[in-house]
Amino acid sequence: MIIKGRVWRFGNDIDTDQIYPGKYLPIIDKKEMARHAMEGTEIGECFINNVKDGDIIVAGTNFGCGSSREHATVAIKGCGIPVVIAQSFASIFRRNCVNIGLPILQLKDIEKIYDGDIVEVNLNNGKVKNITQNKCYKAILVSQLESEIMNAGGLLAYLKQMKQERCSDG
Amino acid sequence: MTIIEKIFSRAVGRDVKPGDYVWSPLDLVAMRDFGGPNVIQEYTENFGDSPVFDNDKIAITFDLHIPARDEKVACNHNILRQFALKQDVKLFDINTGVGQHILFEHGLVKPWNIIVGTDSHMNLLGAFGTAAFGMGTTDITGAMYKGKLWFRIPKTIKIVVTGTLPKYVTAKDVILYVLKNVTTAGALDKALEFSGDTVERMNIAERITLTSMVTEMSGDIGFIEPDSNVLTFLNTRTREEVEPIHADSTASYEKVYEFSVHDLKPQIACPHSPDKVTDVKELSRIEIDQIFIGSCTNGRFEDLKIAASILKGKKIKKGVRLIIVPATMEVAHDALKAGLYEIFLSCGAVVTNPGCALCTTGHPGILAPGETMVSTSNRNFVGKLGKGAAVYLASPATAAATAITGIITDPRQV
Repeated sequence: MIIKGRVWRFGNDIDTDQIYPGKYLPIIDKKEMARHAMEGTEIGECFINNVKDGDIIVAGTNFGCGSSREHATVAIKGCGIPVVIAQSFASIFRRNCVNIGLPILQLKDIEKIYDGDIVEVNLNNGKVKNITQNKCYKAILVSQLESEIMNAGGLLAYLKQMKQERCSDG
Repeated sequence: MTIIEKIFSRAVGRDVKPGDYVWSPLDLVAMRDFGGPNVIQEYTENFGDSPVFDNDKIAITFDLHIPARDEKVACNHNILRQFALKQDVKLFDINTGVGQHILFEHGLVKPWNIIVGTDSHMNLLGAFGTAAFGMGTTDITGAMYKGKLWFRIPKTIKIVVTGTLPKYVTAKDVILYVLKNVTTAGALDKALEFSGDTVERMNIAERITLTSMVTEMSGDIGFIEPDSNVLTFLNTRTREEVEPIHADSTASYEKVYEFSVHDLKPQIACPHSPDKVTDVKELSRIEIDQIFIGSCTNGRFEDLKIAASILKGKKIKKGVRLIIVPATMEVAHDALKAGLYEIFLSCGAVVTNPGCALCTTGHPGILAPGETMVSTSNRNFVGKLGKGAAVYLASPATAAATAITGIITDPRQV
Protein backbone atom coordinates (compact mmCIF):
# COMPACT_ATOMS: atom_id res chain seq x y z
CA MET A 1 0.00 0.00 0.00
CA ILE A 2 1.29 3.45 -0.96
CA ILE A 3 0.35 6.51 1.09
CA LYS A 4 1.06 10.11 0.11
CA GLY A 5 0.65 12.89 2.61
CA ARG A 6 1.83 16.09 4.24
CA VAL A 7 4.34 15.85 7.10
CA TRP A 8 3.85 17.03 10.66
CA ARG A 9 7.36 17.03 12.07
CA PHE A 10 8.05 16.36 15.77
CA GLY A 11 11.25 16.05 17.81
CA ASN A 12 12.71 13.45 20.19
CA ASP A 13 11.08 11.94 23.30
CA ILE A 14 7.52 13.00 22.43
CA ASP A 15 5.79 11.37 25.41
CA THR A 16 2.22 10.16 25.71
CA ASP A 17 1.23 13.17 27.83
CA GLN A 18 2.13 15.38 24.88
CA ILE A 19 0.34 13.07 22.45
CA TYR A 20 -2.71 12.71 24.70
CA PRO A 21 -2.79 14.77 27.94
CA GLY A 22 -3.64 12.93 31.15
CA LYS A 23 -6.71 15.02 31.84
CA TYR A 24 -8.51 13.20 29.02
CA LEU A 25 -7.83 9.70 30.38
CA PRO A 26 -11.41 9.13 31.58
CA ILE A 27 -12.62 9.33 27.95
CA ILE A 28 -13.61 5.95 26.53
CA ASP A 29 -15.20 7.13 23.27
CA LYS A 30 -12.64 6.80 20.47
CA LYS A 31 -14.01 9.66 18.36
CA GLU A 32 -13.76 11.96 21.36
CA MET A 33 -10.16 10.82 21.92
CA ALA A 34 -9.26 11.81 18.34
CA ARG A 35 -10.15 15.43 19.10
CA HIS A 36 -7.17 15.67 21.48
CA ALA A 37 -4.39 14.10 19.38
CA MET A 38 -1.00 15.77 19.92
CA GLU A 39 -2.73 18.41 22.05
CA GLY A 40 0.07 18.57 24.64
CA THR A 41 2.84 19.25 22.12
CA GLU A 42 4.17 22.74 21.40
CA ILE A 43 2.11 22.90 18.23
CA GLY A 44 -0.90 21.11 19.75
CA GLU A 45 -3.57 23.67 18.93
CA CYS A 46 -2.30 24.17 15.38
CA PHE A 47 -2.23 20.39 14.86
CA ILE A 48 -5.77 19.84 16.07
CA ASN A 49 -7.17 22.68 13.97
CA ASN A 50 -5.33 21.82 10.78
CA VAL A 51 -4.63 18.07 10.66
CA LYS A 52 -6.22 16.43 7.63
CA ASP A 53 -6.98 12.84 6.68
CA GLY A 54 -3.83 11.36 5.17
CA ASP A 55 -1.33 13.65 6.92
CA ILE A 56 1.75 11.84 8.22
CA ILE A 57 3.62 12.20 11.51
CA VAL A 58 7.43 12.12 11.35
CA ALA A 59 9.28 12.18 14.68
CA GLY A 60 12.68 11.62 16.29
CA THR A 61 13.73 9.01 18.81
CA ASN A 62 11.64 7.32 21.50
CA PHE A 63 8.28 8.46 20.12
CA GLY A 64 5.43 7.60 22.51
CA CYS A 65 7.51 7.16 25.64
CA GLY A 66 5.85 7.38 29.05
CA SER A 67 2.43 6.05 29.92
CA SER A 68 0.79 2.85 28.64
CA ARG A 69 -2.31 4.76 27.54
CA GLU A 70 -3.59 3.35 24.26
CA HIS A 71 -5.62 6.56 23.95
CA ALA A 72 -2.47 8.08 22.40
CA THR A 73 -2.42 5.69 19.44
CA VAL A 74 -6.22 5.68 19.07
CA ALA A 75 -6.24 9.50 18.96
CA ILE A 76 -3.54 9.61 16.26
CA LYS A 77 -5.28 6.99 14.15
CA GLY A 78 -8.66 8.60 14.75
CA CYS A 79 -7.61 12.01 13.46
CA GLY A 80 -6.74 10.47 10.10
CA ILE A 81 -2.98 9.81 10.33
CA PRO A 82 -2.36 6.68 8.17
CA VAL A 83 1.26 6.05 9.24
CA VAL A 84 3.73 7.28 11.87
CA ILE A 85 7.42 7.42 10.97
CA ALA A 86 9.99 7.79 13.76
CA GLN A 87 13.66 7.14 14.42
CA SER A 88 12.53 4.83 17.22
CA PHE A 89 9.34 4.03 19.13
CA ALA A 90 8.84 3.41 22.85
CA SER A 91 7.99 -0.26 23.30
CA ILE A 92 4.47 -0.01 24.80
CA PHE A 93 3.48 2.61 22.23
CA ARG A 94 4.83 0.39 19.46
CA ARG A 95 2.75 -2.56 20.71
CA ASN A 96 -0.33 -0.38 20.93
CA CYS A 97 0.14 0.76 17.31
CA VAL A 98 0.46 -2.83 16.12
CA ASN A 99 -2.50 -3.97 18.20
CA ILE A 100 -4.88 -1.33 16.83
CA GLY A 101 -3.50 -1.53 13.29
CA LEU A 102 -1.83 1.89 13.07
CA PRO A 103 1.11 1.39 10.67
CA ILE A 104 4.54 2.48 11.91
CA LEU A 105 7.91 2.70 10.18
CA GLN A 106 11.32 3.16 11.74
CA LEU A 107 13.57 5.53 9.79
CA LYS A 108 16.97 6.82 10.92
CA ASP A 109 17.45 9.55 8.30
CA ILE A 110 14.67 11.97 9.18
CA GLU A 111 16.81 15.10 9.48
CA LYS A 112 16.01 16.18 5.92
CA ILE A 113 12.28 15.66 6.26
CA TYR A 114 10.70 18.99 7.18
CA ASP A 115 7.34 20.11 8.47
CA GLY A 116 4.93 20.47 5.54
CA ASP A 117 6.94 18.29 3.12
CA ILE A 118 4.96 15.89 0.96
CA VAL A 119 6.17 12.31 1.34
CA GLU A 120 5.16 9.06 -0.32
CA VAL A 121 5.37 5.96 1.86
CA ASN A 122 5.28 2.36 0.62
CA LEU A 123 4.08 0.27 3.56
CA ASN A 124 4.99 -2.98 1.81
CA ASN A 125 8.70 -2.35 1.31
CA GLY A 126 9.41 0.62 3.62
CA LYS A 127 10.43 3.01 0.83
CA VAL A 128 9.90 6.64 1.82
CA LYS A 129 10.09 9.27 -0.91
CA ASN A 130 10.28 12.91 0.10
CA ILE A 131 8.69 14.51 -2.96
CA THR A 132 9.30 18.08 -1.76
CA GLN A 133 13.02 17.54 -1.13
CA ASN A 134 13.41 14.91 -3.86
CA LYS A 135 15.06 12.36 -1.60
CA CYS A 136 14.46 8.64 -1.05
CA TYR A 137 14.91 6.59 2.10
CA LYS A 138 14.44 3.00 3.21
CA ALA A 139 12.64 2.50 6.51
CA ILE A 140 12.60 -0.59 8.73
CA LEU A 141 9.34 -2.51 8.67
CA VAL A 142 7.79 -4.15 11.72
CA SER A 143 8.56 -7.82 12.40
CA GLN A 144 6.71 -10.65 10.67
CA LEU A 145 4.49 -11.35 13.69
CA GLU A 146 3.65 -7.67 14.14
CA SER A 147 2.86 -7.44 10.43
CA GLU A 148 0.57 -10.50 10.65
CA ILE A 149 -1.28 -8.92 13.59
CA MET A 150 -1.69 -5.65 11.67
CA ASN A 151 -2.85 -7.45 8.54
CA ALA A 152 -5.45 -9.37 10.54
CA GLY A 153 -6.90 -6.00 11.57
CA GLY A 154 -5.27 -5.79 14.99
CA LEU A 155 -4.63 -8.05 17.97
CA LEU A 156 -8.23 -8.91 18.86
CA ALA A 157 -9.08 -9.93 15.30
CA TYR A 158 -5.86 -11.95 15.23
CA LEU A 159 -6.68 -13.70 18.51
CA LYS A 160 -10.17 -14.58 17.28
CA GLN A 161 -8.73 -16.43 14.29
CA MET A 162 -5.83 -17.93 16.26
CA LYS A 163 -6.06 -21.72 16.24
CA GLN A 164 -4.48 -22.30 19.64
CA GLU A 165 -6.96 -22.79 22.44
CA ARG A 166 -7.41 -20.37 25.29
CA CYS A 167 -5.24 -21.08 28.34
CA SER A 168 -8.27 -22.03 30.41
CA ASP A 169 -9.29 -24.67 27.87
CA GLY A 170 -6.18 -26.71 28.40
CA MET B 1 20.72 -17.08 30.64
CA THR B 2 19.60 -13.72 32.01
CA ILE B 3 16.54 -13.51 34.26
CA ILE B 4 14.15 -12.52 31.47
CA GLU B 5 15.42 -15.37 29.27
CA LYS B 6 14.94 -17.86 32.13
CA ILE B 7 11.40 -16.74 32.93
CA PHE B 8 10.19 -16.93 29.34
CA SER B 9 12.06 -20.17 28.60
CA ARG B 10 10.21 -21.85 31.44
CA ALA B 11 6.87 -20.25 30.52
CA VAL B 12 6.92 -21.38 26.89
CA GLY B 13 8.71 -24.70 27.49
CA ARG B 14 11.75 -24.13 25.29
CA ASP B 15 14.95 -22.12 25.43
CA VAL B 16 14.41 -18.59 24.19
CA LYS B 17 17.00 -16.00 23.20
CA PRO B 18 16.91 -12.24 22.70
CA GLY B 19 15.04 -11.27 19.54
CA ASP B 20 12.70 -14.29 19.67
CA TYR B 21 8.96 -13.69 19.44
CA VAL B 22 6.93 -15.96 21.71
CA TRP B 23 3.31 -16.47 22.76
CA SER B 24 3.43 -16.89 26.50
CA PRO B 25 0.80 -17.85 29.08
CA LEU B 26 0.16 -15.23 31.77
CA ASP B 27 -0.03 -15.56 35.55
CA LEU B 28 -2.00 -12.39 36.17
CA VAL B 29 -3.79 -9.73 34.10
CA ALA B 30 -4.39 -6.42 35.89
CA MET B 31 -6.19 -3.23 35.01
CA ARG B 32 -6.80 0.07 36.77
CA ASP B 33 -9.55 2.63 36.99
CA PHE B 34 -7.64 4.36 34.19
CA GLY B 35 -7.54 2.17 31.09
CA GLY B 36 -9.71 -0.47 32.76
CA PRO B 37 -13.05 0.90 31.54
CA ASN B 38 -11.63 1.03 28.00
CA VAL B 39 -10.62 -2.64 28.39
CA ILE B 40 -14.11 -3.66 29.52
CA GLN B 41 -15.64 -1.78 26.58
CA GLU B 42 -13.31 -3.56 24.11
CA TYR B 43 -13.88 -6.91 25.78
CA THR B 44 -17.66 -6.60 25.62
CA GLU B 45 -17.58 -5.41 21.99
CA ASN B 46 -15.34 -8.26 20.91
CA PHE B 47 -16.15 -11.18 23.18
CA GLY B 48 -19.61 -10.33 24.55
CA ASP B 49 -20.41 -12.25 27.70
CA SER B 50 -17.64 -14.84 27.24
CA PRO B 51 -16.04 -15.70 30.55
CA VAL B 52 -12.49 -14.46 31.06
CA PHE B 53 -9.74 -17.08 30.63
CA ASP B 54 -9.38 -17.56 34.40
CA ASN B 55 -11.25 -15.39 36.89
CA ASP B 56 -8.62 -16.05 39.59
CA LYS B 57 -5.99 -14.45 37.36
CA ILE B 58 -7.67 -11.08 36.78
CA ALA B 59 -7.31 -8.13 39.16
CA ILE B 60 -8.86 -4.67 38.96
CA THR B 61 -7.29 -1.89 41.04
CA PHE B 62 -8.50 1.64 41.69
CA ASP B 63 -5.59 4.01 42.12
CA LEU B 64 -5.67 7.06 39.86
CA HIS B 65 -8.96 8.97 39.94
CA ILE B 66 -10.04 8.04 43.46
CA PRO B 67 -12.52 8.80 44.91
CA ALA B 68 -14.40 9.67 41.70
CA ARG B 69 -14.08 13.41 41.07
CA ASP B 70 -16.93 13.73 38.57
CA GLU B 71 -19.73 11.78 36.94
CA LYS B 72 -17.62 10.50 34.06
CA VAL B 73 -15.10 8.96 36.44
CA ALA B 74 -17.89 7.62 38.66
CA CYS B 75 -19.43 5.88 35.64
CA ASN B 76 -16.02 4.41 34.72
CA HIS B 77 -15.63 3.07 38.25
CA ASN B 78 -19.04 1.42 38.03
CA ILE B 79 -18.20 -0.21 34.69
CA LEU B 80 -15.35 -1.94 36.53
CA ARG B 81 -17.38 -2.87 39.60
CA GLN B 82 -20.17 -4.38 37.50
CA PHE B 83 -17.72 -6.35 35.37
CA ALA B 84 -15.94 -7.66 38.47
CA LEU B 85 -19.24 -8.81 39.91
CA LYS B 86 -20.40 -10.43 36.67
CA GLN B 87 -17.12 -12.21 35.94
CA ASP B 88 -16.25 -12.87 39.58
CA VAL B 89 -12.77 -11.32 39.32
CA LYS B 90 -10.76 -9.64 42.09
CA LEU B 91 -11.47 -5.95 42.64
CA PHE B 92 -9.58 -3.60 44.94
CA ASP B 93 -11.74 -0.52 45.36
CA ILE B 94 -10.91 3.11 46.19
CA ASN B 95 -9.82 2.22 49.73
CA THR B 96 -6.70 0.28 48.71
CA GLY B 97 -3.94 2.14 46.83
CA VAL B 98 -1.41 1.99 44.00
CA GLY B 99 -2.13 -1.05 41.81
CA GLN B 100 1.19 -2.89 41.64
CA HIS B 101 1.74 -2.29 45.36
CA ILE B 102 -1.70 -3.77 46.09
CA LEU B 103 -0.87 -6.82 43.98
CA PHE B 104 2.29 -7.67 45.92
CA GLU B 105 0.81 -6.76 49.31
CA HIS B 106 -2.08 -9.14 48.61
CA GLY B 107 0.05 -12.11 47.61
CA LEU B 108 -0.60 -12.01 43.85
CA VAL B 109 3.05 -11.65 42.87
CA LYS B 110 5.82 -14.27 42.82
CA PRO B 111 9.23 -14.63 41.21
CA TRP B 112 8.99 -16.35 37.78
CA ASN B 113 5.47 -14.94 37.23
CA ILE B 114 4.55 -13.15 34.02
CA ILE B 115 2.12 -10.30 34.72
CA VAL B 116 0.60 -7.64 32.47
CA GLY B 117 -1.43 -4.57 33.37
CA THR B 118 -2.60 -1.15 32.19
CA ASP B 119 0.16 0.77 33.93
CA SER B 120 3.51 1.67 32.41
CA HIS B 121 5.09 1.17 35.84
CA MET B 122 3.73 -2.37 36.22
CA ASN B 123 7.33 -3.39 35.57
CA LEU B 124 8.40 -2.24 39.05
CA LEU B 125 7.45 -5.80 40.07
CA GLY B 126 10.84 -6.75 38.63
CA ALA B 127 11.95 -5.94 42.20
CA PHE B 128 10.45 -9.34 43.11
CA GLY B 129 11.97 -11.28 40.20
CA THR B 130 8.65 -11.04 38.35
CA ALA B 131 8.35 -10.31 34.63
CA ALA B 132 5.68 -7.60 34.61
CA PHE B 133 4.79 -5.29 31.75
CA GLY B 134 2.64 -2.23 31.25
CA MET B 135 0.39 -2.49 28.22
CA GLY B 136 -2.46 -0.76 26.47
CA THR B 137 -6.17 -1.46 26.24
CA THR B 138 -6.06 -3.96 23.39
CA ASP B 139 -3.28 -6.10 24.87
CA ILE B 140 -5.04 -6.34 28.21
CA THR B 141 -8.37 -7.10 26.52
CA GLY B 142 -6.78 -9.90 24.51
CA ALA B 143 -4.89 -11.15 27.57
CA MET B 144 -8.06 -11.33 29.60
CA TYR B 145 -9.76 -13.43 26.93
CA LYS B 146 -6.92 -15.63 25.77
CA GLY B 147 -4.66 -15.88 28.83
CA LYS B 148 -1.62 -15.42 26.64
CA LEU B 149 0.15 -12.68 24.72
CA TRP B 150 3.03 -12.16 22.33
CA PHE B 151 6.40 -10.98 23.62
CA ARG B 152 9.70 -10.11 22.03
CA ILE B 153 12.52 -11.34 24.25
CA PRO B 154 14.76 -8.34 24.98
CA LYS B 155 18.51 -8.20 25.42
CA THR B 156 19.64 -7.43 28.97
CA ILE B 157 21.78 -4.57 30.31
CA LYS B 158 23.46 -5.08 33.68
CA ILE B 159 23.67 -2.22 36.18
CA VAL B 160 26.16 -2.84 38.99
CA VAL B 161 26.00 -0.44 41.95
CA THR B 162 28.62 -0.64 44.68
CA GLY B 163 29.44 1.23 47.88
CA THR B 164 27.71 2.29 51.07
CA LEU B 165 25.37 5.25 50.55
CA PRO B 166 26.06 8.36 52.67
CA LYS B 167 23.35 9.58 55.05
CA TYR B 168 20.26 11.01 53.30
CA VAL B 169 21.48 9.66 49.96
CA THR B 170 18.85 7.12 48.95
CA ALA B 171 17.75 4.64 46.31
CA LYS B 172 16.06 7.54 44.49
CA ASP B 173 19.37 9.37 44.23
CA VAL B 174 20.95 6.18 42.89
CA ILE B 175 18.33 5.66 40.18
CA LEU B 176 18.41 9.35 39.16
CA TYR B 177 22.19 9.06 38.84
CA VAL B 178 21.78 5.88 36.77
CA LEU B 179 19.20 7.66 34.57
CA LYS B 180 21.60 10.55 34.00
CA ASN B 181 24.10 8.07 32.59
CA VAL B 182 21.82 5.63 30.78
CA THR B 183 19.48 8.46 29.50
CA THR B 184 15.77 8.35 28.73
CA ALA B 185 16.09 6.24 25.60
CA GLY B 186 19.19 4.33 26.70
CA ALA B 187 17.42 1.10 27.63
CA LEU B 188 14.87 1.11 24.79
CA ASP B 189 13.55 -2.42 24.20
CA LYS B 190 15.93 -3.83 26.83
CA ALA B 191 15.63 -5.63 30.15
CA LEU B 192 17.83 -4.47 33.02
CA GLU B 193 19.34 -6.36 35.94
CA PHE B 194 20.44 -4.41 39.00
CA SER B 195 23.16 -5.93 41.18
CA GLY B 196 26.12 -5.03 43.37
CA ASP B 197 26.43 -4.73 47.14
CA THR B 198 24.45 -1.45 47.34
CA VAL B 199 21.45 -3.11 45.69
CA GLU B 200 21.84 -6.33 47.68
CA ARG B 201 21.48 -4.37 50.95
CA MET B 202 18.31 -2.59 49.80
CA ASN B 203 14.91 -3.30 51.38
CA ILE B 204 11.74 -3.81 49.33
CA ALA B 205 10.85 -0.09 49.24
CA GLU B 206 14.30 0.82 47.94
CA ARG B 207 14.27 -1.98 45.37
CA ILE B 208 10.92 -0.73 44.06
CA THR B 209 12.32 2.79 43.76
CA LEU B 210 15.06 1.44 41.48
CA THR B 211 12.90 -0.79 39.29
CA SER B 212 10.04 1.73 39.00
CA MET B 213 12.22 4.11 37.01
CA VAL B 214 13.34 1.63 34.36
CA THR B 215 10.33 2.90 32.39
CA GLU B 216 11.96 6.36 32.33
CA MET B 217 14.98 4.78 30.59
CA SER B 218 12.52 3.21 28.11
CA GLY B 219 13.45 -0.25 29.40
CA ASP B 220 10.94 -3.10 29.30
CA ILE B 221 11.73 -4.18 32.86
CA GLY B 222 14.44 -4.08 35.52
CA PHE B 223 15.06 -7.12 37.71
CA ILE B 224 16.64 -7.50 41.12
CA GLU B 225 17.35 -11.01 42.39
CA PRO B 226 15.11 -11.44 45.46
CA ASP B 227 17.12 -11.91 48.67
CA SER B 228 15.94 -13.91 51.70
CA ASN B 229 14.03 -10.88 53.10
CA VAL B 230 12.12 -10.43 49.86
CA LEU B 231 11.39 -14.18 49.62
CA THR B 232 10.17 -14.30 53.23
CA PHE B 233 7.89 -11.32 52.55
CA LEU B 234 6.43 -12.96 49.44
CA ASN B 235 6.08 -16.27 51.26
CA THR B 236 4.09 -14.57 54.03
CA ARG B 237 1.85 -12.78 51.56
CA THR B 238 1.23 -15.61 49.08
CA ARG B 239 1.14 -18.34 51.74
CA GLU B 240 2.99 -20.46 49.22
CA GLU B 241 6.57 -21.56 48.78
CA VAL B 242 8.28 -19.04 46.54
CA GLU B 243 11.13 -20.08 44.33
CA PRO B 244 14.23 -17.88 44.11
CA ILE B 245 15.43 -16.66 40.73
CA HIS B 246 18.86 -15.58 39.61
CA ALA B 247 20.72 -14.99 36.39
CA ASP B 248 23.24 -17.64 35.33
CA SER B 249 26.87 -16.73 35.88
CA THR B 250 27.35 -17.37 32.17
CA ALA B 251 24.52 -15.01 31.18
CA SER B 252 25.27 -12.70 28.29
CA TYR B 253 24.67 -8.95 28.65
CA GLU B 254 24.53 -6.37 25.93
CA LYS B 255 26.22 -3.82 28.16
CA VAL B 256 27.40 -3.52 31.75
CA TYR B 257 27.31 -0.21 33.63
CA GLU B 258 29.23 0.11 36.91
CA PHE B 259 28.46 2.84 39.42
CA SER B 260 30.28 3.55 42.66
CA VAL B 261 27.99 5.46 45.00
CA HIS B 262 29.97 5.78 48.26
CA ASP B 263 30.37 9.51 47.64
CA LEU B 264 27.14 10.13 45.71
CA LYS B 265 25.36 13.39 46.58
CA PRO B 266 21.57 13.89 46.61
CA GLN B 267 20.41 14.00 42.99
CA ILE B 268 17.60 15.92 41.29
CA ALA B 269 16.09 15.74 37.79
CA CYS B 270 15.32 19.14 36.26
CA PRO B 271 12.37 20.05 34.04
CA HIS B 272 11.32 18.52 31.71
CA SER B 273 13.20 15.24 31.51
CA PRO B 274 13.95 12.55 34.11
CA ASP B 275 17.54 12.25 32.85
CA LYS B 276 18.36 15.97 33.20
CA VAL B 277 19.97 15.13 36.53
CA THR B 278 22.35 17.18 38.65
CA ASP B 279 23.46 17.46 42.30
CA VAL B 280 20.76 19.03 44.52
CA LYS B 281 23.24 21.58 45.85
CA GLU B 282 23.72 22.95 42.31
CA LEU B 283 20.12 24.23 42.37
CA SER B 284 19.99 25.73 45.82
CA ARG B 285 18.40 29.05 44.85
CA ILE B 286 15.30 27.76 43.09
CA GLU B 287 12.03 28.62 44.83
CA ILE B 288 9.34 25.95 45.05
CA ASP B 289 5.54 26.30 45.28
CA GLN B 290 4.59 22.71 46.00
CA ILE B 291 6.15 19.45 47.15
CA PHE B 292 4.71 15.99 46.54
CA ILE B 293 5.86 12.95 48.53
CA GLY B 294 4.34 9.69 47.31
CA SER B 295 3.81 7.69 44.04
CA CYS B 296 4.61 4.12 42.98
CA THR B 297 8.28 5.13 43.15
CA ASN B 298 8.45 6.68 46.63
CA GLY B 299 5.19 6.06 48.48
CA ARG B 300 6.24 3.21 50.80
CA PHE B 301 6.45 3.44 54.60
CA GLU B 302 10.25 3.77 54.52
CA ASP B 303 9.89 6.75 52.16
CA LEU B 304 7.43 8.48 54.49
CA LYS B 305 9.61 7.65 57.48
CA ILE B 306 12.71 9.38 56.14
CA ALA B 307 10.59 12.43 55.20
CA ALA B 308 9.13 12.45 58.74
CA SER B 309 12.59 12.27 60.29
CA ILE B 310 13.39 15.57 58.56
CA LEU B 311 9.99 17.22 59.13
CA LYS B 312 9.71 16.25 62.81
CA GLY B 313 9.19 19.31 65.02
CA LYS B 314 9.43 21.65 62.01
CA LYS B 315 6.98 23.74 60.03
CA ILE B 316 6.92 23.93 56.26
CA LYS B 317 7.83 27.31 54.77
CA LYS B 318 4.95 29.76 54.65
CA GLY B 319 3.44 29.88 51.17
CA VAL B 320 4.67 26.39 50.29
CA ARG B 321 2.28 23.46 49.89
CA LEU B 322 3.30 19.93 50.90
CA ILE B 323 1.15 17.00 49.74
CA ILE B 324 1.92 13.56 51.16
CA VAL B 325 0.23 10.43 49.80
CA PRO B 326 0.94 6.91 51.12
CA ALA B 327 1.10 4.32 48.32
CA THR B 328 -1.43 2.00 49.97
CA MET B 329 -3.79 1.72 52.91
CA GLU B 330 -1.35 -0.72 54.52
CA VAL B 331 1.38 1.94 54.30
CA ALA B 332 -1.06 4.50 55.74
CA HIS B 333 -1.83 2.19 58.69
CA ASP B 334 1.86 1.64 59.36
CA ALA B 335 2.49 5.40 59.15
CA LEU B 336 -0.36 6.06 61.56
CA LYS B 337 0.93 3.51 64.07
CA ALA B 338 4.46 4.92 63.84
CA GLY B 339 3.21 8.45 64.57
CA LEU B 340 4.09 9.84 61.13
CA TYR B 341 0.66 11.40 60.58
CA GLU B 342 1.12 13.50 63.71
CA ILE B 343 4.42 14.81 62.34
CA PHE B 344 2.99 15.48 58.86
CA LEU B 345 -0.14 17.23 60.07
CA SER B 346 1.79 19.30 62.63
CA CYS B 347 4.28 20.55 60.07
CA GLY B 348 1.50 21.80 57.80
CA ALA B 349 1.28 19.02 55.21
CA VAL B 350 -1.86 17.84 53.44
CA VAL B 351 -2.10 14.05 53.66
CA THR B 352 -4.56 12.52 51.19
CA ASN B 353 -5.97 9.04 50.63
CA PRO B 354 -3.61 6.33 49.30
CA GLY B 355 -3.17 6.12 45.52
CA CYS B 356 -1.06 7.35 42.62
CA ALA B 357 -1.91 11.00 43.27
CA LEU B 358 0.26 13.52 41.42
CA CYS B 359 1.25 11.31 38.53
CA THR B 360 -0.58 13.20 35.83
CA THR B 361 -3.10 15.96 35.22
CA GLY B 362 -6.58 14.96 36.29
CA HIS B 363 -5.66 14.55 39.93
CA PRO B 364 -6.14 17.16 42.69
CA GLY B 365 -2.95 19.11 43.35
CA ILE B 366 -2.17 20.08 39.75
CA LEU B 367 -0.02 23.18 39.29
CA ALA B 368 -0.87 26.59 37.82
CA PRO B 369 1.17 27.97 34.90
CA GLY B 370 4.54 29.25 36.13
CA GLU B 371 4.46 27.17 39.33
CA THR B 372 7.25 24.84 40.39
CA MET B 373 7.13 21.53 42.25
CA VAL B 374 9.58 19.08 43.74
CA SER B 375 8.09 15.60 43.36
CA THR B 376 9.21 12.15 44.50
CA SER B 377 7.40 10.64 41.52
CA ASN B 378 9.09 9.37 38.38
CA ARG B 379 8.27 11.71 35.48
CA ASN B 380 8.56 15.44 34.89
CA PHE B 381 7.50 15.65 31.27
CA VAL B 382 6.41 19.04 29.98
CA GLY B 383 2.79 19.78 30.92
CA LYS B 384 2.31 16.45 32.70
CA LEU B 385 1.27 18.13 35.95
CA GLY B 386 -0.10 21.36 34.54
CA LYS B 387 0.56 23.46 31.47
CA GLY B 388 3.44 25.88 31.99
CA ALA B 389 4.51 24.26 35.26
CA ALA B 390 7.99 22.97 36.09
CA VAL B 391 8.64 19.73 38.00
CA TYR B 392 11.85 18.54 39.64
CA LEU B 393 12.24 14.88 40.67
CA ALA B 394 14.04 14.04 43.90
CA SER B 395 14.08 11.76 46.94
CA PRO B 396 11.65 12.00 49.87
CA ALA B 397 14.56 13.37 51.96
CA THR B 398 15.27 16.18 49.49
CA ALA B 399 11.54 16.85 49.10
CA ALA B 400 11.05 17.14 52.87
CA ALA B 401 14.06 19.45 53.28
CA THR B 402 12.76 21.60 50.42
CA ALA B 403 9.34 21.88 52.10
CA ILE B 404 10.98 23.40 55.18
CA THR B 405 13.07 26.01 53.36
CA GLY B 406 10.90 26.69 50.29
CA ILE B 407 13.95 26.47 48.05
CA ILE B 408 15.52 23.32 46.62
CA THR B 409 17.55 22.02 49.55
CA ASP B 410 20.10 19.29 50.16
CA PRO B 411 18.61 17.21 53.03
CA ARG B 412 22.00 17.20 54.78
CA GLN B 413 21.69 20.95 55.32
CA VAL B 414 18.53 21.06 57.47
